[in-house]
Amino acid sequence: METGIKEPKNLTPRVKWLRDYYFEGTDRKWNNENTSWTTGEDWDFQHNELTYYIVPETYPFLQTFRSSFSQTARKVELCENFREMSLPERIAWFNREVVVRYLPAEILPGDLIAGGRFNIQTSSCLSKKETRERDRRVYGKKGTRASMKWFHDHGYGNSGATSGHLIPGHKRLLKIGWKGVRQELDDFYGRLSEGEKKGRKGAQLRAMMTASTTAVDLAARYADLCGEMCRQEADPGRKRELEEMERILRKVPYNPPETFHEALQALWINHMLIMSDENYPGPGVSFGRLDQYLYPYWLKSESEGMDREYAKEILGCFWVHANTAYDALIKVGGNQGITAGYGQLLTLSGLGPDGEDKTNDLTYMILEVIDDLSPILEPKPNIRIHRNSPEKLMNIIVDMIMSSQGAPFLLNFDERSMAGMDEESKRGGIPELINRTNLAEYAPVGCLENTMVGNDRSGTVDNNLNLYKAVELVFGNGRDLFPYFDPMTGKYEKVRQDGPRTGDPLAFKAWDEFWGAYVKQTAYIVKKCVDLYEKSESLRADTAPTPYLSCLVQGCAEKGKDITEGGAEISFTTMEAVTYASTVDSLLAVKYLVFDKKVCTMAELIQALRDNWAGHEILQAKAKNKAPKFGVDDHDADRMGFDVMKIWTDEVWKHKTKSTGRQFRPGMLSWNYWVGDGFILPASPDGRPKGSFFSNAICPVTGMDVNGPTSNSNSVGKVLGGKTIVDGEEQYVNILPNGASHTISFNPSIFGTDDNREKFKAFLKGYARNGGTALQINMIDSETLKEAQKNPADYRHLLVRVTGYNAYFVSIGRELQDELIARLSHDKI
Amino acid sequence: MSEIEQSGLVLEIQRMSTEDGPGLRTTVFLKGCPLRCTWCHNPESISPQPRLQWIGSNCILCGSCIDICPDGALVLAGEKIRIDWDQCMGCGECVEECPTNALEILGKRWTSGELVEELVKDAAFFEESGGGITVSGGEAMMQADFTKAVFRKLKSRGIHTTLDTCGMYRPEKMEAILPYVDLVLFDFKESDPQLHREYTGAERDIIFSNFRALMECKEKGAGPVNLWIRTPIIPDATARVENIREIARFIIDYQDQIDRWEICAFNNLCKDKYARLGQTWRFAESPLMKKDEMDRFVRTAVEEGFDSDKVLWTGMTAQERI
Repeated sequence: METGIKEPKNLTPRVKWLRDYYFEGTDRKWNNENTSWTTGEDWDFQHNELTYYIVPETYPFLQTFRSSFSQTARKVELCENFREMSLPERIAWFNREVVVRYLPAEILPGDLIAGGRFNIQTSSCLSKKETRERDRRVYGKKGTRASMKWFHDHGYGNSGATSGHLIPGHKRLLKIGWKGVRQELDDFYGRLSEGEKKGRKGAQLRAMMTASTTAVDLAARYADLCGEMCRQEADPGRKRELEEMERILRKVPYNPPETFHEALQALWINHMLIMSDENYPGPGVSFGRLDQYLYPYWLKSESEGMDREYAKEILGCFWVHANTAYDALIKVGGNQGITAGYGQLLTLSGLGPDGEDKTNDLTYMILEVIDDLSPILEPKPNIRIHRNSPEKLMNIIVDMIMSSQGAPFLLNFDERSMAGMDEESKRGGIPELINRTNLAEYAPVGCLENTMVGNDRSGTVDNNLNLYKAVELVFGNGRDLFPYFDPMTGKYEKVRQDGPRTGDPLAFKAWDEFWGAYVKQTAYIVKKCVDLYEKSESLRADTAPTPYLSCLVQGCAEKGKDITEGGAEISFTTMEAVTYASTVDSLLAVKYLVFDKKVCTMAELIQALRDNWAGHEILQAKAKNKAPKFGVDDHDADRMGFDVMKIWTDEVWKHKTKSTGRQFRPGMLSWNYWVGDGFILPASPDGRPKGSFFSNAICPVTGMDVNGPTSNSNSVGKVLGGKTIVDGEEQYVNILPNGASHTISFNPSIFGTDDNREKFKAFLKGYARNGGTALQINMIDSETLKEAQKNPADYRHLLVRVTGYNAYFVSIGRELQDELIARLSHDKI
Repeated sequence: MSEIEQSGLVLEIQRMSTEDGPGLRTTVFLKGCPLRCTWCHNPESISPQPRLQWIGSNCILCGSCIDICPDGALVLAGEKIRIDWDQCMGCGECVEECPTNALEILGKRWTSGELVEELVKDAAFFEESGGGITVSGGEAMMQADFTKAVFRKLKSRGIHTTLDTCGMYRPEKMEAILPYVDLVLFDFKESDPQLHREYTGAERDIIFSNFRALMECKEKGAGPVNLWIRTPIIPDATARVENIREIARFIIDYQDQIDRWEICAFNNLCKDKYARLGQTWRFAESPLMKKDEMDRFVRTAVEEGFDSDKVLWTGMTAQERI
């Protein structure tokens, strides 16, 4: 099989032009680069750093962001009563003003979707006094910035109230239009007492009323533009298109759309303005089940004779629009370290409420669009599969994986994911909001974080906690093993008693004592994270409402509360565990080396960690090679994995935010922290030296899953809770409602023959039964093999398969390795 | 009914194997083989005894093994650990001690019960793919009682079983196993009796006669449900059109009973295994087969009347230079 770079295909000239133009990048005349807008007051600023607290790469630039956006900001003429309005009303007014009156409106040649510029940085709209107070809470000695820096520098992880990461109620908005939203807001406002109208509730609802006109008035501007362009257009075909676009924009998003084109136009404007509202380009602002809620519109247009290719073109235009989120910082060439993309996630296929499969013709057409356009980053597709997913869908999935370097989508597994939502319902005490009737309506956000749709903000990436920190604190009896070195002052900080005193580890006589100490330190680090989050969460609630977004999430209007204040019906927040397998393997290693086999004493082990294993190479090798590991389907080791999972998730469920009442819930997504924090935390007992990566999300430690993909999957399923028998029926358990990121790399030879393709499909069905909530499939390419030649220790698990013979790549001779690399570069193995 | 639990010597357990029968499988490689094929791809499986192996690429030359060996069987020789086979009792203490797994004992003893517990871990994947367990070797029939015990337990749990055999076994042992076997992979390597002796050290006719006996069982309804034939194509040995033609002529009478004939292209991936065992391998420099040659073998089988839907070639062929 060919393993060259995937090329786009079957594109019409229109979509090809738009796609090519997009990839011209900085050479483009048009772009969607951030523009900055100010009230003109000398204290004014735009950049909200809270949303960047979970992006450690940006820490050194936080001040630069603030000052550069302030310096380049253009002044907006304020209305007379601006300063008399409440903060949410000021923000709603200001953002609307920028979007509707100041931002240039343009439509690119051939484009069928209107809505170009949305990357904006708008005024905080705070008064001088409010700004001073806010700055004190950010920059003070115990302010949000210093606190989050301390947390990060000491290896705990990171935390911050972050934008996006939800699925707004697009389905509902399409159904009732902004007209309907406005009607509801009027009703709610009308029901308020005069006192309430003067208070916060009234202010919030008035702000939302203002915000609810933004999309409508912007559409009118684009309608005018279409009319203008139409008059100047010579080509009769394009003229007709522009006429149609004008008609559509005069109708939606104010009125409910009826056709497919109308629905996509309305959806685009409604979606892009969320990114404007939050001043952040698409961090997990997700679409939910696109093939489900667009299906009625598609059916109608199809029955009215809509050309299939034309429908694909509209989608193609929509796709290109989503990618312009990346233009935000186009000139500095950066995407703020967001290497995985912004994650405007869309969901396809999946179960319905009665256990039926919901794949439809639109699912297949969207998959075609993705396949034709890829490689392309946004919007990111996630396909929900389950035990009874149809053959046709499975075949397309396998074909698409085969023709790419890796899957151009993530696979989400319904049974396990729904078990997680069920767990959330029980533990969070919200059976009226999540229950059997609507479990199947869940959808993933951002990368793979499972939430409900249209009424749920669960802060899916807001807290990222390194579980390993608790192990370090056991060794230090509640203290760090090393003093923190501050590169700014060039000084070492004094080591303090940060965690509880759990006893001198040298005095531990049995494993249970170590475990008991670990449990206490875990409770401490979870609490520490909760306390840190409170600072940015309460500050956001007080100073950074998002009234436009609040219109799109059920609960906010009803409660008269902004989404940032906890307005959503399901208003949870998530703690993601990082360093999971490294922590499990470290605990397994302590038990094995010190207590079970007595290979070394606790003192020797701690000394080895202090010395970063230097001079203790034999002990390190034993830790790596002899101690049991998570990820090889070893029931005893996986039992430890489950125990670790259970105790940290139980701790998480004990907490709620004070200011906004958001229940914490657990998940496991490590983004890139497992790489960076490997340079902060000291050496670990699993043999990892400081400066080496930790394990990623729920994956086994790199190179340790030596029994192949099935055993790796089984281990993951087991630590999520496996299955249980209820009334004689097998039921899935999943104690991580937010989901768990799992990546497995395959050798392309698994797709070599038709026979093997069938086997790969069967693997995916087996994963649906035994594995986790989400799977990213990567293909081993020649680059991977070259890496494996250089760093064999990290690739012990890499299996090369040839008919009748399997071998671990690192164990075969150099010459044969070269042969396999050469083969993989152009041919099948 | 109580019986002493069988135990057997297992070389390796391979999960998610895609090449040893239908579906996704776990393949168990047993130790010990009655043949001495000159091209053997798993030379470490031949001996029926556990045997110590040193893997140089893992070794950090720490000397822990030398210190712990109670029999003084290990010596540091330059950058290598040399095993004195006269002294080594195979006790495994060095394996336990070695921090980097540079020493391992080839062949681990499993009871049939323990092994089955390990093998059923992938049951969900077997069910979804129509796969199951393959017992291979070495030669699975060298430990026929153990293999039978394992298969019997697997069948009682509804798991598909495959027996991979070179055809050299006592026929009554095969008869005893057959009730628990769904698929037999039967090797036909060489049709010429003299060459067969030269290449494998064994008599072709025993294998042929075992095959006939198996076919008789199958006709009586006592045989395996399915049967695949496998022929390894080895350059300068079995890779002869003549050989394929003769094998085809022998098995053509049983064509209705045969589901598939795999003609397997030689590969040289095991080169370093020989090096590790301190042996030289005649085929170390042999080139890979060419696609045309493999196509030719399949054509030959078809010319002899073999159903083209049943015969196919598998494996890695030499890269075509573009």
